[in-house]
Amino acid sequence: MARNENSRMTACENMEQDLVLYYYQELEIAPRSGVEVHIKDCAACRLYLDEMASILPLTVKNDEPPETFWNDYSREMRQKLADVRDRQPWWRSWTFFLQPWPRPALAMAAVVALVLTITVGKGFWSTQESPPDDQALIEVLPVAENLEFFKNMEVLDVMDFLENPGGTTKETT
Amino acid sequence: MKPGDEELVASAQKGDHQAFEELVQRHQQKAYRIAFDFARDREEAKDLSQEAFLRAYTHLSNFDGRSGFYTWFYRILVNICLDYRRRQKRTSAEEFNETVESQIEPGHPTAYPVSPDQQVIAGQLSRKVGEALESLPPKQRTAFILKNHQGLSIREIAEIMHTAEGTVKVHLHRAVTALRETLAEFV
Repeated sequence: MARNENSRMTACENMEQDLVLYYYQELEIAPRSGVEVHIKDCAACRLYLDEMASILPLTVKNDEPPETFWNDYSREMRQKLADVRDRQPWWRSWTFFLQPWPRPALAMAAVVALVLTITVGKGFWSTQESPPDDQALIEVLPVAENLEFFKNMEVLDVMDFLENPGGTTKETT
Repeated sequence: MKPGDEELVASAQKGDHQAFEELVQRHQQKAYRIAFDFARDREEAKDLSQEAFLRAYTHLSNFDGRSGFYTWFYRILVNICLDYRRRQKRTSAEEFNETVESQIEPGHPTAYPVSPDQQVIAGQLSRKVGEALESLPPKQRTAFILKNHQGLSIREIAEIMHTAEGTVKVHLHRAVTALRETLAEFV
């Protein structure tokens, strides 16, 4: 089992990956045809393929356990699953409702509820709490009339005087 | 007509224990073989594949059906196998090789030593193959095992490894190149 001296040859660098995929039959029709045309004229790439065909099967280690192995396997598996179920807390069964598939539905329901709350709520407050514009004016005017600031306008005269100290002052009302 | 995997998963998610046991029955041999490709040891492969089923069972609520159960489960299995390999790296390579050699099974192409010379060569080959696979980076090793040993398509491997198909092709090419260099003397 001496090493084949030709195996020192290397395949074309730009073809290597395609050769691997060709070996595993993972190339589409066009590149596969390209590889087939190429290896007709390229001894190095042909050798690369031959080596793969010789070497790669050697890496597979078959193991065919007897029937008793599978019987034991199934029995152990059932026992381990039962142990897991026994260890699970009671509330785990409720996590069914938190599983991924109902999440979008729950999220949508939450969004709808939020939108309804905002829209209905806004309507409720605007009809019950917000006074009409006229009503607000009626409520505000008496308050404004009682403000000393609006009654006593002398402050405006003082401001005119400061702006124009040499000129005539307005008569106060 | 038998229910599909997704139907069994839905039943299991609702608490049907037998539905999950049916899933185990369906996938246990393939799961075992993948685990064996990583561990190259019968008992370890059994433990690893069973651990994958248990983890799938306890995390069944996380399965959202975006990928097939097959893809989801084998992703769990491969991750467990890679974790196992990381733990195993702490043990000596010599110990690993002894395990590999002691488990040459009748029926394997390298397991018909008809002369002492061939027996020696078979042992050397088995040791070399173990070392070569062991030396591959985890992603290359995973891509190679799933393709070369399990015959999965590039697309399936990409889904299991959660990566692009182009990346799987690169991993596979690099793995084959490394193995070819290591094992060329046996051709």
